[in-house]
Amino acid sequence: MLALSEIVHSKLKFALIALAIGLVVALTMTLSAMSEGLVTGMTGAKGNLDADALVFQGDTYLNFERSLLTTEDVEQIRSAEGVAQAYGVGHVYISVDAPEESFDTHAFGLTDDFEQLPVVEGVGGMPQDGETIVDETVRSEGVEVGDTVTLTPIGRELTVIGFTESRRYVMAPVFYVNMNTYEDLRAASMFGVMAETSDAELPSATHVIDAVEGNVSVAAVKLDEGTTVEGLAAALEDDFDVVTPDEAALAGNGMPVMVLAVNGIQGVSFVIGALVIGVFFYITTLHKTGQIAAIKALGASNAFVYRQLLAQILLLVTAGALLGTGLALGAGASMPPAMAFDPRPDRWGVTLALVYLMAFVGSLFSLRSILKIDPATALDHAEH
Amino acid sequence: MSLLEVSDVSKTYGSGRGVVTALEDVTFSVETGSMLAILGPSGSGKTTLLSIVAGLLQPTSGRIVIDGQPIHLRSQREAALYRRDKIGIVFQDYHLIPYLSAVENLLLMPRLAGRATRAHREKALGLLEEFGIGERAKHAPWELSGGERQRVAIARALMNDPEIMLVDEPTANLDTERGTQVVAMLGEHVRGRDMTCLMVTHDVRMAEGADRVLRLVDGRVV
Ligand SMILES: Nc1ncnc2c1ncn2[C@@H]1O[C@H](COP(=O)(O)OP(=O)(O)O)[C@@H](O)[C@H]1O
Ligand SMILES: [Mg+2]
Repeated sequence: MLALSEIVHSKLKFALIALAIGLVVALTMTLSAMSEGLVTGMTGAKGNLDADALVFQGDTYLNFERSLLTTEDVEQIRSAEGVAQAYGVGHVYISVDAPEESFDTHAFGLTDDFEQLPVVEGVGGMPQDGETIVDETVRSEGVEVGDTVTLTPIGRELTVIGFTESRRYVMAPVFYVNMNTYEDLRAASMFGVMAETSDAELPSATHVIDAVEGNVSVAAVKLDEGTTVEGLAAALEDDFDVVTPDEAALAGNGMPVMVLAVNGIQGVSFVIGALVIGVFFYITTLHKTGQIAAIKALGASNAFVYRQLLAQILLLVTAGALLGTGLALGAGASMPPAMAFDPRPDRWGVTLALVYLMAFVGSLFSLRSILKIDPATALDHAEH
Repeated sequence: MSLLEVSDVSKTYGSGRGVVTALEDVTFSVETGSMLAILGPSGSGKTTLLSIVAGLLQPTSGRIVIDGQPIHLRSQREAALYRRDKIGIVFQDYHLIPYLSAVENLLLMPRLAGRATRAHREKALGLLEEFGIGERAKHAPWELSGGERQRVAIARALMNDPEIMLVDEPTANLDTERGTQVVAMLGEHVRGRDMTCLMVTHDVRMAEGADRVLRLVDGRVV
């Protein structure tokens, strides 16, 4: 109540403190969301695969581009102990002749489970041959639902039937296609238009194409209740590398280094923010030394004075947290999709919890000065 | 019956060659229901004496006895409880909490011990009424005159029914006429009750409102 009265009395001062806390919260949240956006931009299509485990070819270092599983491999995985369900995921590079500018990206062929792709525009589900569902960030290349894009140099066309979200890979929007289309794209990529146009090359080309028919990059596996990723890895022995989608997302493409950098950025912004908040309350405490001395001289315990400070901190940090969250959401809403802003409630929750924690830690500096204030000074400064 | 006895109290500040003797063998007692004025020039040790009785300073030697009980304040915490429950202090510059209204400044006292109840509020309003500032109860300190502020400070000190009221230089910020008026009111309040009042002043006219006067020069009673 003392705490609240003081806030009401000095509205401007406390509004500015709440604003400062709000800006710190907004800064850490925005950085967190942008970092998260960077990570999903790099690996969203990998990490968001609907699976408990991803199975890679052995010794491919969890590399989508290098891993290759044959039809027999996928069968072996599907029939392994503890596997409830398994589908293949194929990866192939494509170049898209877009209205704005041509760009290189990735096509993912799924043997099943297109329902895992959230539909943000158009339709979802299994695409027909020659159709594709694309990550919505492709809009910034001028591609819209209903458009038909040409793939160069292979001369294939894909019709966009729907947009999905958080499905980029190495910052490029992933094109999801069915297995027929995937195999066609891969064959065309391997041999160019040559396979279709040159009779002379046909026998050997078809031979190779037949040989790789049904091959995928990785198998996405859903496990039976009670089976762990480690359990599956043991069941499959050394022929395969088995990890969770999250682990796969953080491997390859320079991700380990990027994650370190991103955590460093968040850590630094966080520590500075915490210091700023702590220093603010420390200054307001130093500012009130005379008043605190008087209250202590009247018989207030240190605990009483500290409780008032904590109540104030709680109120101001809560106001700042609401303000900061609003600002961060506003900042995110005004960013173009390509800027990769991915607010995650769990991360923001952690940020908020840490802001409260740091405000509390900051308050301990104030507590130290409260303890040091000598109530006797309330009587003796009068004559000077 | 004497409520407060101060026996052989000495206080020195500092150590070695920088040592200052602020009080030397000060002895006196105050009867229940009476007001004692301690009169002395600046630097004579008045505030030091007040601080010792308030439990804000430890005497270098000597002892303070209240109601037959010697006061031993072993910790900061004990001293705070002692001040809260037995002592009322009126600071020279009042130290009203600037963001609390007059009545809320009084209610701070019961709050130090827990909650302020409806009964506390009525008591607070009654005290403000008694000191002639009932209609100023809702005003903030900066809206009050110097005299009104002092009366709020006195009413606040009385709020927890202290056994000992300590008043530091009640006229320093007031003209003499208004000062004597306030002292007279305080004297009336004390006389009807089981409490004593110790008032410190350098002004002879102010001391006339007290039941007894003790003169202090260079830390000694003369
Ligand atoms: N904290 C202190 N440290 C050193 N000397 C002090 C301190 N407080 C007071 N003194 C000295 O003690 C003497 C008495 O001071 P004080 O009790 O404030 O007198 P008064 O209130 O009568 O003016 C003075 O000489 C003063 O300088
Ligand atoms: Mg003095």
